[in-house]
Amino acid sequence: MTTEGAATPLGPLSERVVEALGALGGRLEREPFEVRVVLPARVIVDAVRTARAAGFDLLSDVFAIDWLRYPGHQGPRFSVDYNLYSIEHGERLFLRVDVDEDEPVPSITGAWKAATFLEREVYDMFGLRFSGHPDLRKIHTPEDLEGHPLRKDFPLGETPTLFNDGRFLDPAAFRAGMIGASGGLTGWVGGARKGVVAEQVDPAPAAPRPGATRGDEGER
Amino acid sequence: MTVKPAGYQAVTLSEERTGDFETKLMRINVGPQHPSTHGVLRLVVDLDGERIARISPVIGYLHTGFEKTMEHRTYQQVVTYSNRMDYVHSFGHDLAYVLSAEQLMAARVPERAQRIRVILTELNRIASHLVFFGTGILDMGALTLFFYTMREREQLLDIFESVTGVRMNFGYFRVGGLYQDVPESFEHDVRAFIRSFPKMLDQYSALFAKNDIFVNRTTGVGVIPAERALEDGLTGPSLRASGVPLDFRKAQPYSGYEDYDFDVPVSTAGDAHARFEVRFQEMRESLKIVEQALDRLEPGPVRDPDRRISLPPRSELETSMEAVIFHFKLVTEGFHPPRGSAYVATESARGELGYYLVSDGGSMPYRVKVRVPSLVNLQSLESACVGGLFADMVVNIATMDPVMGDVDK
Repeated sequence: MTTEGAATPLGPLSERVVEALGALGGRLEREPFEVRVVLPARVIVDAVRTARAAGFDLLSDVFAIDWLRYPGHQGPRFSVDYNLYSIEHGERLFLRVDVDEDEPVPSITGAWKAATFLEREVYDMFGLRFSGHPDLRKIHTPEDLEGHPLRKDFPLGETPTLFNDGRFLDPAAFRAGMIGASGGLTGWVGGARKGVVAEQVDPAPAAPRPGATRGDEGER
Repeated sequence: MTVKPAGYQAVTLSEERTGDFETKLMRINVGPQHPSTHGVLRLVVDLDGERIARISPVIGYLHTGFEKTMEHRTYQQVVTYSNRMDYVHSFGHDLAYVLSAEQLMAARVPERAQRIRVILTELNRIASHLVFFGTGILDMGALTLFFYTMREREQLLDIFESVTGVRMNFGYFRVGGLYQDVPESFEHDVRAFIRSFPKMLDQYSALFAKNDIFVNRTTGVGVIPAERALEDGLTGPSLRASGVPLDFRKAQPYSGYEDYDFDVPVSTAGDAHARFEVRFQEMRESLKIVEQALDRLEPGPVRDPDRRISLPPRSELETSMEAVIFHFKLVTEGFHPPRGSAYVATESARGELGYYLVSDGGSMPYRVKVRVPSLVNLQSLESACVGGLFADMVVNIATMDPVMGDVDK
């Protein structure tokens, strides 16, 4: 455990591996709680093989981050992170690859089978493609769901929903109900939060979409 | 939905075909609604006679989008969601989350809170393993043990109810400590459990460990060698059953686990029997930890006194304007960890569990990635099942101990 602000010390194994990854073009980033090596996407398979051969024998995780809304972020939109752990040395090392939306990431399933489900999860949730993956299919979401839910621009509550009794939940009207611009379906009008002067709250009424019908009836 | 055969190794049919008798792979579907799949796990199995040639899990039936939801909740609200993933070992998920968030916030958790967390997490581990035993042996056709283990689990759930108010999905841990202190009856109840439980374990042992049917159905079944387990990313008791002594409570101690004296049961057999045995021993070890933590439980605060993290006591709200301001800020927007990321690996009842949190300085996590053990462990099903009998597949699923909420998130 480290104190706030101080960078994590490098263990002996990490030091060796970081040096070897430097030859592949890796750049060391030391954060307060983690050691991370940022690599070009094309060398990730070699990098994982190198780290594994050196003694990082557990692939804990493969996951992506969408930096779209991160304040001040520059560079490619996504990053794919590889979480490695050495059982013998008790050290943890993160590898990171920065990629853009259409850029395929080389799949590490050939070097490490444990990545099979994890890369499928990244593909499903972020729409990043892994070249060379043997079985790149969706894993969590239903087949008919379009889009990738963990992207920061995935619309929330925007799927028009038809209920059994014929009521139709229109996203725009639903949103208007949520912010108090209309009664919405429930008739509940959200308004000024406690501590905020009512006059200051002036939400712009949401424009109903073409085809929006039933949801607006609750307006009062 | 069709399963693409591409990418799986080519399957050779049985060599035993003679004359004009031809064998053909038969594809059958198991689940998602089937008692032995422990939830909504669907498996597409290709059978070569009685042997499994290929097995492909189809998951996602319980996908709830927890990670997305958590990214739209304040750090303190996330506790409501974390425990709903692995609903059998809820405290494990709560603990993993609060540890990562506390690392981001540099919160200092009082000792009493740490001890109570350890007691509850370990008791919950026992409860989880009890479910594992009951249902696992139920899958092999033995009904009796299920009622026995549920009886003891009931005792544990009563303790959890007295502490948290609910029997599942506790949401009792908070970033910086606990929601409130444990009730007075807590120590007495836990001591009563510590007294009675070893006798129960002996009873279970008599029911199954020396039972010929159980031993024959599990010994040598679903063997996963250590290298194969690491290739598949297997963690937790199943990995320890394959001979790799990885336990994050020992390897990277958190919450004061370094203070307690306990062993990590390891077996080298790697078969289903070893996976049962390791978990059985783990219950005794957990009980040791609980007893030690209870002995060292001293009175004291259960929350970080830092006003940036914890709500001020109710009584102060009537006298201190400052307390009202902190209260208002925490309730309306929550706290703001500095930018950065945190990951604390913990040992859940199923394996390595950790929350990777990315903070952008706001009051909600920018990215939450849950490293769930069940999802990764499910990949080992192929290693355990292919080449084995179809009937053994049920045993293998049971000994992998997947919780589908943990798999699908």
